Amino acid sequence: MGDRPWPEALDPVVAEFQDCFDSMERYELLFEYASNATNPLPQDKWNDANMIHGCQSRAHVECTLDSSGLFRMRGGADAQIVQGLMEITRIAVDGSSCEQVSSLTPEFAEAMGFNSALTPSRSNGFKNMLDRVVNEASRLMRGNENGQ
Amino acid sequence: MRSHASVSEVKKHITRLNIVKPTGVLVKMYDVQEIRSDFPILKRVLPNGKPLVYFDNAATSQKPDAVIDAMTRYYKTYNSNAHRGAHTLADEATTALETARKAIASFFGANPSNLIYTSGTTEAINLVAYAWARRNLSEGDAVVLTEMEHHADIVPWQELSKEIGIELRFVPLDLKRMCLDMEAYKHALPDAKLVCVVHTSNVLGIRNPIEDIIALAKESGARTLIDAAQGASHERIDFKKLGADFLTLSAHKMAGPTGIGGLLATNEALSQCGPFLTGGQMIRSVSTDGSVYRDGAALLETGTPRIAEAIGWGAAIEWLSKIDFTQMHGHIKSLAIMAFEGMTKIDGITVYSDPTRPGSSGTISFLHERIDSNDLAMLLNEGGFALRTGQHCAQPLMDALGVASTNRISLWLYNTEEEIRSFLDHLRMVCDRFGA
Repeated sequence: MGDRPWPEALDPVVAEFQDCFDSMERYELLFEYASNATNPLPQDKWNDANMIHGCQSRAHVECTLDSSGLFRMRGGADAQIVQGLMEITRIAVDGSSCEQVSSLTPEFAEAMGFNSALTPSRSNGFKNMLDRVVNEASRLMRGNENGQ
Repeated sequence: MRSHASVSEVKKHITRLNIVKPTGVLVKMYDVQEIRSDFPILKRVLPNGKPLVYFDNAATSQKPDAVIDAMTRYYKTYNSNAHRGAHTLADEATTALETARKAIASFFGANPSNLIYTSGTTEAINLVAYAWARRNLSEGDAVVLTEMEHHADIVPWQELSKEIGIELRFVPLDLKRMCLDMEAYKHALPDAKLVCVVHTSNVLGIRNPIEDIIALAKESGARTLIDAAQGASHERIDFKKLGADFLTLSAHKMAGPTGIGGLLATNEALSQCGPFLTGGQMIRSVSTDGSVYRDGAALLETGTPRIAEAIGWGAAIEWLSKIDFTQMHGHIKSLAIMAFEGMTKIDGITVYSDPTRPGSSGTISFLHERIDSNDLAMLLNEGGFALRTGQHCAQPLMDALGVASTNRISLWLYNTEEEIRSFLDHLRMVCDRFGA
């Protein structure tokens, strides 16, 4: 991760958000990330098992390992703001090792200017989503170690 | 703050607008800026530099200095448990608690002995379900509810239904007219033992025809419970004139503190109640052989009273007593109509309220067809607008409207035309930028 607490893949994303003129422009950019999301989790895959609790809107995340044993995530949400944050999280973790993903922290959202802009409940929702991704990475890593 | 100014005051404040009634009595116009000056929080600037525009009054109202000061004074100078101690502070606390009860009861045209302090409307309704309904209803008895009810006026009856098998009859909404289907209500009434209706909807802002509902229920022999959590802050409700058996109240939606509300119950209804929670205030005597309880409202108050909260509510009532509710209602209605007309002109917005209806509270629910309600609330928050999003504890109403949630603005006596204009400008901008 170098000298910043987020994966290198997020550097251009963080810079893009930091260049925004004001909060409304940041939200417009977040909406763009949401609508251009790569491979979001389709609604028919939303279920109780992949639901993220503590988020104001409906949000679901699915974490898997690809054939090379690398981490893959797909997220789906009603709200574009949550979908955008999921897409940015996906950019941060997709194709990383489980070990790398398990050490991900939420500083990147703050660096992009969203921490103070998010309501506590939505902020908790983001934190819950991130916790879910990190926990899934740890679980998948343990599964690998156990030969599952 | 003042309501009716004397002639000398009017001359002194000659720059203010005043009207002269034909009788020659000078009546001050509704001065929203003077009202606002009593609410310190309305000067708040949010972390993003935007001034607060508070449109979440159906969730809770802001508090005037009079309320904040009264509660602070209690804690700073005479904090003590009421009714118990034989010392000066206990006397002062007891006097303040009971003075507040008198003021609150009087405001609602009731006797103090008919007011039971509760934690709020939810507890008040549960109290009726536990203390009255469990002793007076039995299997097969019908309770009439409406699709407009808050969950607090549905779930206690569902629990009772599971427990003793009462029948629940829900009066539907007339979606075309955005009000209760009164014909369906009449059909639901025969043999019903209790009718529970919300005075004013927390989602639609619609004021139900409570007087007709109560009259019809009486004719049919049913008792009535009116949930006035929303209505009490918008019109003067006279409990005796209204004729309901139970009226439930929330302090924090009418300038008072959170944590307190009340149940007004008639003597007849109280005489049919048994204990719910036990201990503390409701005890007359206890021995190892058994206990003797107090009667009436005292039977239903247990433990240490909510003293500071009652004092705060009393102060809110005293403050509200200076407000001309007819003028206040006119002010809120004009703002709500202005907001409604502006919102209906914005592409993609659907409004689920009709503030032109008589008695409407200034609560307007709405949705944008392409912007998720949570996103819309966030984007409005960026402009400093505090409003609500979600199902508003009214899922049956959401089902009837065919939506999962709504955005909701709810106006009160301190909101201004400037705030509505600024809200409409921001909403238009958000819809243009994010709803394309």
